[in-house]
Amino acid sequence: MNFDTLIDSLASDLKPVPRHAVGRRLLLGMAGGGAVTLLLISIILGVRSDLGLAMRGFAFWMKWAYTISLGIGAVALVARLARPEPIRLIGFWPVTIPFALLAALAVTELAHVPSSDWFAMWLGASWKKCPWLVLMLSAPIFAGLLWSFRRLAPTRLRVAGAAAGLSAGAWAATLYCLHCPEVSALFVLTWYTLGILLAAGAGAWIGPRLLRW
Amino acid sequence: MRVTEDQLKKWMLEGLDGDASSHARLLRELVPILRGFYKRTMTDGHAIEDLVQETLIAVHTRRMSFDRTRLFKAWLFAVARYKMIDHFRRERQTCPIDDLEDLLASESFEDAANARMDVDRLLADLPDKQSLLIRKTRMEGQSVAEVAGETGFGESDVKVSVHLGLKALAARILGERR
Repeated sequence: MNFDTLIDSLASDLKPVPRHAVGRRLLLGMAGGGAVTLLLISIILGVRSDLGLAMRGFAFWMKWAYTISLGIGAVALVARLARPEPIRLIGFWPVTIPFALLAALAVTELAHVPSSDWFAMWLGASWKKCPWLVLMLSAPIFAGLLWSFRRLAPTRLRVAGAAAGLSAGAWAATLYCLHCPEVSALFVLTWYTLGILLAAGAGAWIGPRLLRW
Repeated sequence: MRVTEDQLKKWMLEGLDGDASSHARLLRELVPILRGFYKRTMTDGHAIEDLVQETLIAVHTRRMSFDRTRLFKAWLFAVARYKMIDHFRRERQTCPIDDLEDLLASESFEDAANARMDVDRLLADLPDKQSLLIRKTRMEGQSVAEVAGETGFGESDVKVSVHLGLKALAARILGERR
């Protein structure tokens, strides 16, 4: 077969690839999706009215430290899985550090609260909808990552889908903090994490279909 | 190997910096390398040519996934290997005619028929040439060489048309979902 026509047509529209192009591409996709998520939160859920006050308190930053550190770890994993090289997943165990730290914090919290209040603290006021909202809000960010992947070369599609879902979930949870008034570490540890894991599971489920190339 | 890793990587890096002639040179040199790679495990000449073509397109469209600090050939063969695995996966999904009765009897036939109608509707929006070539290569399972022989188009013409057609379809489907 003669590939000259194809090669000429491919080379004719050649654009330079900047350094760190993978990172930029992922960032761009997530920023686009994140903008949609932010819009959904402000239109449908509403930003909490005491946000300015909350940002001077501990609970808000505890939540952000958790979701943002999780998000950064997940994006690093996504960036690695976007390249077609063999990967040792065990090397990414630090992704679980935020969870361990928050769990330690939750235990300290329990020690300072009478046990009769534990249950109420665990469920908060929004445990029923929190995981589902995080899952739904992660969809635009996941879609943004799918766009990013169109120029990338993942070879382990299920793992890449799960990592993209984890990342989308963590960043959706970060933005959801702008709405959610819950303050307990135990609440975040359970229900935020559940929402983020649902997003990761959804990503693992549809990854092999949507990431094929 | 006639071309060394260093030379290939040099062309790749120049291509990444926007040098179209280095990029074209690289893709041309990859053709025999990829043929050799696929011939080690495959015997079907048409399938090999199809895979070489698909891999060239992937090397081009997904070139940003190459890490400049790593070996070029490691990246290239990872892409080629993925394409081969994907090819085998696709092959398994095509249904031999002997099993057609079972397929017709199965409950999923209706779903399959509906899906076929969706595909027909989508293909109808494409230029005739693209929809014909997609039908033959992707739905009827003919190889590019067979289709080229039958229709009189050149093989790379067929490939490019199918590629462009599928791209347009994907854009349309994403547009419908949005």
